[in-house]
Amino acid sequence: MAVYRRSRRHRFLLLLLVLTSVTAITLDYRDGGTGALESLRQGARDALAPLQGVASTVFEPVGDFFGGITRYRSLQRENGDLRAELDEARGARLAGEGAERERQALLELMRLDFASTIPAVAARVVSTSPSNFQHTVVVDRGSDKGVAVGMPVVTGAGLVGRVLEVSQSRATVRLITDRSSNVGVRLTGSGEVGIASGNGARQPLDVEFVAAGTRVGEGEAVVTSGVDGSAYPPEVPVGTVKSSNTPPGAIAQEITVEPAVDLARLEYVKVLLWGAAPR
Amino acid sequence: MITDLRFRLPVALLLCLLLHTTLLAEVRVAGVMPDIMLLVAVAAGLVAGPSYGAVAGFASGLLSDLLLPTPLGLSALVFTLIGYAVGLAKAGLLRESPAFPVAVAFVASSAGVGLFALAGSMIGATGLMNARLATVMLVVGIANGLLVLPVLRLVRWSLAGRPPERAYAE
Repeated sequence: MAVYRRSRRHRFLLLLLVLTSVTAITLDYRDGGTGALESLRQGARDALAPLQGVASTVFEPVGDFFGGITRYRSLQRENGDLRAELDEARGARLAGEGAERERQALLELMRLDFASTIPAVAARVVSTSPSNFQHTVVVDRGSDKGVAVGMPVVTGAGLVGRVLEVSQSRATVRLITDRSSNVGVRLTGSGEVGIASGNGARQPLDVEFVAAGTRVGEGEAVVTSGVDGSAYPPEVPVGTVKSSNTPPGAIAQEITVEPAVDLARLEYVKVLLWGAAPR
Repeated sequence: MITDLRFRLPVALLLCLLLHTTLLAEVRVAGVMPDIMLLVAVAAGLVAGPSYGAVAGFASGLLSDLLLPTPLGLSALVFTLIGYAVGLAKAGLLRESPAFPVAVAFVASSAGVGLFALAGSMIGATGLMNARLATVMLVVGIANGLLVLPVLRLVRWSLAGRPPERAYAE
């Protein structure tokens, strides 16, 4: 009898917890990120922020140590790339002062000056997403600085992502490499527009809906399209074309784009106070 | 039971949450981090049976949900089920081999990640079911298997050395 009662109590507790979870999921969906549960989330994030700050400082050396081990290969590759770049720079310097001046002038000409008229809030990246599915970062500016859901986030190099959630002192930014991210883009060579969608951390973006006959060059710059109703302002650099391919019989090309921003090493970003929109 | 959990379990959960959101979020293999919050549910099920497993899973899942841009309650639901299932499995198996908790942590953590992706997709969350899911399940399983022994110690402390409850036999 005792065995039966105990077993029944286990099942009742399980049922209670499952029903509570399902109710929370339902309420969260119904409120759409605006109700009491969202306020609870925001409060929890704000309350945990100072503790997370302390914990980050305490654990930073350990994290750097393990990070160095787990990222050894990529660091080795990066070291090789940097050495190659250094060799190129040495070569360019030796090519003569006149050629160097010309190169600098060309670089200056090509430099994209984007979103300079849009007011922005500078923010520091305080943590990456503690998730294996979402590719997000948390920045140390929130609604008290005017940050709102939907605002674009950039660095000097280009587009980082878009504000997904915001509390009083923190904002979560969905990076453009997140699998849920879609950005309206324009190829600068042809002017064709498409949709760039994320493929996960450290993966290039896929660009869809670019017609098969369009000429696409490797290394071509890709910027936000800024078409009416877009979530991003126009002409923000997104990346450069890494590859393009048109499978036989296809009406659209398969294009991959390398993000302009090194999203694995974000430190400071700017939140553009522009076009806050619902999720 | 709930009274006993009031002090130590929240402290243990908070410690795990801070580790999860700071140190472990930076320690990634193939872009995948360990899921210590899921491991708390597994460890509680192993230490103290299905009810404790479910309660600890619900609490750790809810804390995770507060910090993740996924539907609130999704991790709580999955971790509750995993904690309960581990508690039941422990009661039904002969064990006490040193490898037993490691094996359970591997299997339960991998299953938990898969269940999270499946349940999330069923309720409309995007980006969860993809080609990388198998890698995430495998790496989380291995990483949690490696972390299970210290987490078991923490969970034993948090449950204040209570004798394990039994699912079906007195």
